[in-house]
Amino acid sequence: MNDIATYCSATYTWAQFTPAFILIGVAAVLLMADTFIKALPKRAYAVTAALSVLLVGCYTVSGEHTNAYSFLACLATGLSILVAYDYTKVSCASIAGGTSDEGTGEFYALPLVACAGILCLTQAADLIMIFVSLEVVTLTSYVLAGYFRRNQGSIEAGIKYLVLGAMSTGILVFGAAWYFGMTGTFILDSDVVIKTLSGSVASGTVAIGFLMSVALLFLGAFFKVGAAPMHVWIPDVYQGAPTPTTTFLAVASKTAGFALLCALVVPFRSKLLAIPGTHVADMLVNVFAVVAGATLLIGNLGALFQSNAKRLLGYSSIGQAGFILVFFLNLNPPDFLKISEHLSGPVEVLTYKYLLAYTLATVAAFFAIAMVRTQRGSEEISAFRGLGKTNPRTAFLIVVSFASLAGVPLTMGFMVKMASFFALVGAMQSWTYLVWLLPIMILTATAGFYYYFKIIRAMYWEKPQSGDKPLCVPFCTACVMTACAIALIVLGTWPLLTAFK
Amino acid sequence: MIQNLPWLFLVLPLLVAAIDWVIFHKCPKTAATLSILSALGTFALCIAYLTGWQTGTADIYTWMPTGSAATSLHLGLTMDELAMRMMLVVTGIGLLVHIFSIGYMKGDNSNLSRYFAGLSIFMFSMSTIVLADNLAMTFIGWEMVGFSSYLLIGHWFHKASAADAAKKAFITNRVGDFGFLLGILLTLGVFGTLTFDKMGTAAAGVAPCLLTVTVICLFCGAIGKSAQFPLHVWLPDAMEGPTPVSALIHAATMVAAGVYMMVRLQISMGTEVFTETARMVIATVGAITAVMAAIIATQQDDIKRVLAYSTLSQLGYMVMAVGLLAGEAAMFHLYTHAWFKALLFLGAGAVIVCCHHEQDIWKMGGLARRMPVTVLCFLMGTFALIAVPGFSGFFSKEAILDAAVVKHPTFFWIGVGVAVLTTFYMTRLCLVAFFGPARAHGAAEAREASPSMLLPLLALAVMAIISGYGFVADYLVPAKGFHAHGFHFGFTFYVSLGALVLGLLAAVVIYGFGKRSADPLSNNFISTALRKRLYIDAIYDKGLVGGLQQCGAHIIEFIDSALIRGLLVQGSAWLVRCIGVLLSRIQCGSLRAYSCVAGLGLLIIIVLIAL
Repeated sequence: MNDIATYCSATYTWAQFTPAFILIGVAAVLLMADTFIKALPKRAYAVTAALSVLLVGCYTVSGEHTNAYSFLACLATGLSILVAYDYTKVSCASIAGGTSDEGTGEFYALPLVACAGILCLTQAADLIMIFVSLEVVTLTSYVLAGYFRRNQGSIEAGIKYLVLGAMSTGILVFGAAWYFGMTGTFILDSDVVIKTLSGSVASGTVAIGFLMSVALLFLGAFFKVGAAPMHVWIPDVYQGAPTPTTTFLAVASKTAGFALLCALVVPFRSKLLAIPGTHVADMLVNVFAVVAGATLLIGNLGALFQSNAKRLLGYSSIGQAGFILVFFLNLNPPDFLKISEHLSGPVEVLTYKYLLAYTLATVAAFFAIAMVRTQRGSEEISAFRGLGKTNPRTAFLIVVSFASLAGVPLTMGFMVKMASFFALVGAMQSWTYLVWLLPIMILTATAGFYYYFKIIRAMYWEKPQSGDKPLCVPFCTACVMTACAIALIVLGTWPLLTAFK
Repeated sequence: MIQNLPWLFLVLPLLVAAIDWVIFHKCPKTAATLSILSALGTFALCIAYLTGWQTGTADIYTWMPTGSAATSLHLGLTMDELAMRMMLVVTGIGLLVHIFSIGYMKGDNSNLSRYFAGLSIFMFSMSTIVLADNLAMTFIGWEMVGFSSYLLIGHWFHKASAADAAKKAFITNRVGDFGFLLGILLTLGVFGTLTFDKMGTAAAGVAPCLLTVTVICLFCGAIGKSAQFPLHVWLPDAMEGPTPVSALIHAATMVAAGVYMMVRLQISMGTEVFTETARMVIATVGAITAVMAAIIATQQDDIKRVLAYSTLSQLGYMVMAVGLLAGEAAMFHLYTHAWFKALLFLGAGAVIVCCHHEQDIWKMGGLARRMPVTVLCFLMGTFALIAVPGFSGFFSKEAILDAAVVKHPTFFWIGVGVAVLTTFYMTRLCLVAFFGPARAHGAAEAREASPSMLLPLLALAVMAIISGYGFVADYLVPAKGFHAHGFHFGFTFYVSLGALVLGLLAAVVIYGFGKRSADPLSNNFISTALRKRLYIDAIYDKGLVGGLQQCGAHIIEFIDSALIRGLLVQGSAWLVRCIGVLLSRIQCGSLRAYSCVAGLGLLIIIVLIAL
């Protein structure tokens, strides 16, 4: 019995999951308190939840089972709870109606559960753990997306997310079944992969079933990261879901997706498989190249004509995922490309850096959208009109975050986008034909400048209308946006300074 | 730390420029003080290094790594004698000009912080050229001096002529810089490096034709920056800038950068790289410039323009010497010329200020009595320029003529001819402006210049006299192991003395001692042609700017409107728009459509794997 268990699934220690248990515990306490102690103001839950998840984030960095993705997930979750903290006016009106904060407590506590799911995912080494922890994230997200029950858009978003998410989960489970069938284990490990493949080569059959399972697993991960063809849920759900939830989906859920994708490709990084000419390596590169190209085009070109800021950021999150997927073309980065240590490294490190830049900029952008929505009642780009005049400092912070998303030099967004281009150049050393991806990357990076600058244009070129008052920037929003802007600039210039010598 | 100290030459003025510009935008006094202190600081540092203090190399920084050491772009400083002594000229004259500017710009309503920031930026850029240890860095400085020159020529930009002159200088230099950039790329190709120290033997076995092209392309940069024919047109117009700027940038330092760069290349590449053809092209361009500018100078009435053409002519001299492979003589003349031409310009500046901003020499007169010290200093500069024996210019001109007589007698006689003309126009200038009665109200009221202007004049006058003697020149001339030979009574000496006397006599006979009120040589066909600068500017204006531009405009219009705007910009925008709209259409909100898209994608990926 014990043998079968170790063979089918990986072994874990309790310590690996300590942060996840802490978060679940805090969430449970908060949910109980929400039910039984009516006197507490609900915003206190938000503060507790955000603080605890950020502290757990610090713990994951310092703890024994260090994982950068855990930290990023905690950071992203904490910040999205803080978005909710400054969004109470809208959430009260959309949940209980009026100004009552009845029922908003869960809205702050549930992200902790999702975050716990992500923390488990980052420790996962077999498909069962992956499936379970992913479901924890996804099921919580369904609830959060449809949480504004007085808002039709939110309910629609919840339903769409549920249906499409269920489809993707089905695909993932189907892939896991094929994997188990072909390998006899759920463990994701290079030894297993090599054994299966060499066995099939020896017997003269191509392990088509194995490759199929891998493709299905990837498709499940593509759903989470928002890569084509599984991106279809993103625009509608991002636009319809409550802004704090959208923030969570855009940053924390995407982190989970890429953590999963990294876990899936790592077994293929052994020396045997990444040698060009091997069928499996070619197959992986082809799939990732096609998916990255399609994702880049769909995300960036689709964003061009959006007028809703949240929908725009939805397309933006697809487009940015495309740039991250390019890293996956280069599983074994060649040494000669190490122009700067900041621009090269293993795929999971580069992905993490890109996600960090994306998270900082996107969170700041969502804070701005939430603020504009609360005070001007609209999420359209035009609602940002004249902020350059009325709120020059805040407008500048928004400029920094959107400039980083677009990849303006001296921001972190530029550094990571450049790393993405370098990754493609590196992959072209082995697969020359990948050059077709380069014009697509250039075109879509250019398109990014167009649509991200629409917000900047609205802030500086469009005059404020007569009734527009300066926005009153909430304390928490001001702090986080400033911190994000500073981090983006420091992390964008520091590598340049250190690379100078 | 100590290895990084030489970087102060660049960092200090750049920092001061930034501070002047950003922080002390509205406090001209603080800005001026800072700029002067930075000039003083670099000057002191320069003296410290020249007196044997820790000479050596500065740390090299890799600016743009390309993977191979040869093609990576570095930032490094050369600290050899050529560079350090050139720095002394730059910082020394720079400092004096900074001080002079206080008096000259007094009462000027324009933004003085901007002016001093411009001066500091110039000091930074010029130091970059001088200290650069590779051509790429030279090019950076090259463009930066162009930029600072643009700022300073156009300092009074509300005057249309100043704004136009600034543009003209900038655009004309672009033409030369294009060639220079090609030359730099060719150098990288031929020598495999841009670092001066490493060019040494790299060119062995390269086709002479390729070397010729490389050298001439590099020389194009010098043609633009040192205002050689046919790109000389910007320098006379550049006199629209404040006079101290003309003294520093357009007489002493920046325009000499071309000569400095060519000499630096001769040293690092080796003279054998300069093929016969290349040498002849360089010497001929120099000779043409020297003669043409000297002829035009004889009929100029604006005191600064006379000096401007004289600068052109003297630069032609130096370039000619470079072409004759007499780099040491060229640098010697560059060095003496820097001192005495700066003196002449600052003297002219003092005269202009004291005559209420009158620049026409025919509206001056009798200044020798009213401002004797200034005029005396100016005369010292003149004597040096026209090579009166014993003055600095005499020694350096003698060095060039000595080299020419050995290498190529034709150029020797051209040099002598230019010397006659030089003496003639400078004597004319002095006689008309300083002697005889005052011919205008401003000249009649002229008073001696203020101390802040006199002090630099006196300092420069001393240098104009003594800088040619061995006891000074041996230590200060920017050339490796320079040794002044003095002069000897020989063929060259007698010929140049003859030229001097001839020029003096001609001027005195024609202009007397300032008694005439109009130029007796004017009002004829030749004079008109000279006053119109031999119609070269007009030809450029009509032929190049007009004709070429009109013709080019049609072609560019076609390319721009049909190809770029129509096909590329609007076409691609249209295409992108179509795709974008299509993609937005797919996101119609229908759950069935979404599942369908996802399902199709799934199939595609499975097919991809099966292949």
